[in-house]
Amino acid sequence: MTTDTPIKATDKQNLNSATLVVENLSKRYGAGTTEVIAVRDISLNVEPGEVVLIMGPSGSGKSTLLLMLGALLKPSSGSIQLNGKTISNLSEKKLPDIRLHKFGFVFQDFNLLSSLTALDNVALVAELAGLKHQEARQQAVTLLTKLGLEKRLDFLPEKLSGGEKQRVAVARALVNNPALILADEPTANLDSKNGHEIMRLLRDIAKEQKRSVIIVSHDQRIKDVADRVLWLEDGEFKEIAQMFTDPVCGMVVEQAKAVLLERNGKTLYFCSRGCLNEFNTDPASFSQS
Amino acid sequence: MLYLAFRNLFRHKIRLLIAVGGISLALVLILALDAIVTGIEDQFTTYIDNSGADIFVAQEGIRNLHMVSSALPDSIVAQVKKVPGVEAVTPILYISTTLDTGKDSHLVYLIGLPPTATAGKPWRIAEGVAIPEAGQIVVDSDMAKRDNLKLGDTIKVFGQPFKIVGLSEKTANLLNAIAFISFADFAQLRGSTNTVSFVLTTVKSGQSAQTVAGQIEQQVPGVTALARSDFAGQERKVVIDMSADIINIMNLVGFLIGLTVMALTIYTATISLRTEYGLLKSVGAHNSHLYRVVLYQATANTLLGLALALLITFLLVLVVPFFSSRLTLEITFVSVLKVGLLSLVIAAISAVLPIRQIAKLDPAKVFSGGKV
Repeated sequence: MTTDTPIKATDKQNLNSATLVVENLSKRYGAGTTEVIAVRDISLNVEPGEVVLIMGPSGSGKSTLLLMLGALLKPSSGSIQLNGKTISNLSEKKLPDIRLHKFGFVFQDFNLLSSLTALDNVALVAELAGLKHQEARQQAVTLLTKLGLEKRLDFLPEKLSGGEKQRVAVARALVNNPALILADEPTANLDSKNGHEIMRLLRDIAKEQKRSVIIVSHDQRIKDVADRVLWLEDGEFKEIAQMFTDPVCGMVVEQAKAVLLERNGKTLYFCSRGCLNEFNTDPASFSQS
Repeated sequence: MLYLAFRNLFRHKIRLLIAVGGISLALVLILALDAIVTGIEDQFTTYIDNSGADIFVAQEGIRNLHMVSSALPDSIVAQVKKVPGVEAVTPILYISTTLDTGKDSHLVYLIGLPPTATAGKPWRIAEGVAIPEAGQIVVDSDMAKRDNLKLGDTIKVFGQPFKIVGLSEKTANLLNAIAFISFADFAQLRGSTNTVSFVLTTVKSGQSAQTVAGQIEQQVPGVTALARSDFAGQERKVVIDMSADIINIMNLVGFLIGLTVMALTIYTATISLRTEYGLLKSVGAHNSHLYRVVLYQATANTLLGLALALLITFLLVLVVPFFSSRLTLEITFVSVLKVGLLSLVIAAISAVLPIRQIAKLDPAKVFSGGKV
């Protein structure tokens, strides 16, 4: 079993204060010879106000983990507790309410409703949670104003920039006062500046409002805003300290599986022999980059 | 959710236009056909309604004019006159036949009128006289106009020439017209002396037509007596019975066209927004929330289609008489109610398939840019 922060029986106080407690979580698809284990016996706890970044290569199980954490996918085994309540064993009928009230979702493609204005996109989710129309709109106005979108309230998504769309999505994620925000590649469709702004925004929300934030991303640039960076590979968390970046393709590789090259007293790590060969054809160009 | 439904609806204006246009044309098919049939029903009873008679006395078992033959001995007329409550009686002869204008032949209800007729004569005369004498005929003015006939021209009935002495109004419908000759000419042509077809009866002031009709049936053997409204009702029933199959088939065709248009529109609208519905599910919307969006959209589309259909049909009601004086359309509350209910059924059925699609949506696929 690989964990980032193993939960001990003696660590009761810490466990009780955690927003999210995940224990021995696994997800298997298929059975017998066709069985695939997407997430393997993972444990994790996330404190209030903590920003956790989960990184890993494609197919590592990041999305599956996020889906299970967001009550969108049932785990094969293990448990997920949110604010002390186990949500992993709830019936399908109860899950929409959990998602509506306990989670805020931020998506890679923003996923705003195309026919609704920025204001309506946010207010609609508040209305789904039971707020009256006017109250929901007021709440949405307050949030969007806080996020600097007071002049974009009546804009349709198609009239907003990528950064603005993602801020609307963040406002939508916050409107029902969730304990946990789950962000799936929130910077993938943003330029560097907007990507960083969104990450800062998520961090500020976590710190000021004591909400937990879990971000799944490939984006190396956002590591600095996270309290913890977890590396997920083959469905398990790996030691982040043992991960290195391939100087040719930029891919993050595990030390044990990397192709090594000693050069000028330094060890370089490559994802494959192909990258190593490419490096050897013109080492200077890669060293400069 | 209502708000989202309307925003989705009006955001795609071309799709809205196609849906509303399609459904409205389907509903116009039903509404217009109903209006035409109602118009025909009214035209069919025009003679009865405007005859001036309170009671129609016919041979026993005869309850209407269309496609029937009634023959009563003329002695009946005096017997009916004696029944308490009867004010006046007018015997008429009646047959459905063709009238030869020399240019065309026309299907007509031919009425034989006595010279002293107080009922059963033409109620609106455009030109000439209302009651013809021997060798004379009164014909419908529209029919005369179509064949360029005027007062003084001669036309043939049962091969015998008759001189046009009067042009009546509102005495033609889609299928036929009414023509009037003298009682004596009619009797001679048909060789049916000493018989009458109907006895048109008026009742004294304060008397109930139904009550007097009942008394006539009791006191005069071998007759059926019906108050005017009942007689007209029977006539309408004949029209309805004759046209019921056509109306039902056309209603079904209209319903199926409307349903197809709506089902396709709502289905494509839902499919095109699958990712958005998936997103709503992922953030916590229940299926019931999304079903409502689809139902609102289907209902709004259909009601807009219904409104447009009513508008088009009302315009047809106004415009059609300018092109065909014999065709009148009449919209009834029952017809509007029927089409309204039909619209709601169309909306409900057309929403079923999209709702099934939504129920199957996996909200998890919204993540990582996945298409639902």
